[in-house]
Amino acid sequence: MSSFSRSAQQWATFARSWFLIDARMQPPGKIATMCAIRLQGKHKPIYHAMSDCGDHIVVMNTKQIAFSGNKWEQKVYSSHSGYPGGFKQLTAAQLHHKDPKAIVKLSVYGMLPRNLHRRTMMQRLHIFPDDELPDDILANLTEELPQPREIPKQLSEFTQEEIDAFPRLWTPPEYYKMK
Amino acid sequence: MAARSMLRSVWTSFAGLKLGATGSNVIFQQGTTIPQLSAVTIQSRGLRQVVEKQEGKTTIIEGHILNTPKAPEPPNPEAKCPIYRWNLQHKYNYTDVLLLSQFIRPDGGLLPRRITGLCLEEHRKIAICVQMAHRAGLLPDHKPEPPANQIIKKPKQQLNRYLTCWSTDSVKPIYKTGLKWCKRRMAVGSPLLKYNVRYGVKHMNIKH
Repeated sequence: MSSFSRSAQQWATFARSWFLIDARMQPPGKIATMCAIRLQGKHKPIYHAMSDCGDHIVVMNTKQIAFSGNKWEQKVYSSHSGYPGGFKQLTAAQLHHKDPKAIVKLSVYGMLPRNLHRRTMMQRLHIFPDDELPDDILANLTEELPQPREIPKQLSEFTQEEIDAFPRLWTPPEYYKMK
Repeated sequence: MAARSMLRSVWTSFAGLKLGATGSNVIFQQGTTIPQLSAVTIQSRGLRQVVEKQEGKTTIIEGHILNTPKAPEPPNPEAKCPIYRWNLQHKYNYTDVLLLSQFIRPDGGLLPRRITGLCLEEHRKIAICVQMAHRAGLLPDHKPEPPANQIIKKPKQQLNRYLTCWSTDSVKPIYKTGLKWCKRRMAVGSPLLKYNVRYGVKHMNIKH
């Protein structure tokens, strides 16, 4: 802001902020792109790859992440321990059951640049499966980011007036008994 | 329907009569419609409410016709399919539960096409949208009743999903995705909905 003193403006531009993202009913890929952009610092006009301008991101509710299509059954996460016979392949559903944080972590890891800064950026990413956050992280949070996907309404969440306001598209014939 | 049931009751009452001289009369009446009743044309049917009244020793059962308010006029009344009548052809998705719930049974199944009056392509689109809505958990009250199971099964892992076109048990994991030019893609959404109105420049991506 132009009304700040020079030192305050300097502090405001180069400070490392903490963002919060709620991953409830969100696709992990879209969450990961938002995280990767802010961990690198690409959302700032003062970005430079060498100037370590990334921010901290806290992702909560990763247990309730939503994949589109049949990716829970089709998407396979593979890893090799290095030893013979150490090739493991797990479907997204199995991996999520074993560790609810892993899917978001792997997606963000794959979206960061493949250099030595990647590990430090991953240390600045904090993932929590539930919405219980420790107090010191809660105290640091500055901004909550809007969710990328609009969560659709369930039929039970509509009020009776909204249901009545929607017109009946067809009338059943007289001889048909609605079971 | 009431006229027909009344006719049927009249026929059966006449059939019960054992008249020797009027035997031919009975057959004649059974074959043709009685002219007095056929003059009654039922134009508008309202919902009926059966009311029971007890006055001392007599019980009176009456049927009152309820006043149903007039339904709003569809913008295109000449079309055969209800979706074309309301000009909703390429405008609905799996999230429009208020629309989809009008074509389903209480246990989640779809109503037959000859009853709803939908054209074939719209019926298929609605079917796939209803399937996707069920799998996304948008229709929680329309689950089928489980049969009396004494064995309490382990609850399955509740995974959130959306735009799932295939059934969860029928899909196999893709262990080898292949190289970029021959990748085995994962299907999201349905090609039946590819002509839906989109307010962006990009096409709907079905192959992820």
